[in-house]
Amino acid sequence: MKESFQVTLTQEMQDLFLQITGDENPLHRSFEYAKNKGYEDKVVYGLLTSSFLSTLAGMYLPGERSLIHSVETKYQKPVYIGDTLTIEGEIDEKNDTYELIRIKIIIRNQKGEKVVKGRMQVGVA
Amino acid sequence: MTREKIFEDVTEIFRDVFDDDELVIGDETNSADIEDWDSLEHIELVINMEKHFGLKFNIKEVNKLQNVGEMVDLIQRMLEG
Repeated sequence: MKESFQVTLTQEMQDLFLQITGDENPLHRSFEYAKNKGYEDKVVYGLLTSSFLSTLAGMYLPGERSLIHSVETKYQKPVYIGDTLTIEGEIDEKNDTYELIRIKIIIRNQKGEKVVKGRMQVGVA
Repeated sequence: MTREKIFEDVTEIFRDVFDDDELVIGDETNSADIEDWDSLEHIELVINMEKHFGLKFNIKEVNKLQNVGEMVDLIQRMLEG
């Protein structure tokens, strides 16, 4: 079983993430700093991108009654404000004893490039 | 499969899950003896045992287990059918 959805990253999301976390790393806040480091623009927080895994579990796989056990993610390419991400999850293991699923995660940008890959274990509470 | 062999395989599973090649367990070992043995690692242990021995545990039976020895006995009973 596979589910996916799309989201476009905005400056407002980036600002809200800063408010929540207090992470003022200039890589995410300063265009000049990010350019000096070799990036096209300010880089979206990796954990902002990962936060949509909460949506994947809570709304799609399995959706209601979901309880995230663990998440593993690898950030393969930078994400920028204005990128439209496709968050995709595919169940590749199911365990009936514990009513849990293991999900393979791929997040792609609008160019189809893989920006995040990972795994998630989600129980059904 | 002998109880000894089951115990050997269970030890390997513990070492793998807890990422410790020198981990030593005994019949009396329980979650109080291994710091990382929490509910999530317990799930990992049980799922690995199901896969390794080709079994499907009943959650009620698994939740009653008090230590490694009882787990090994349960596996032996299930393997003997």
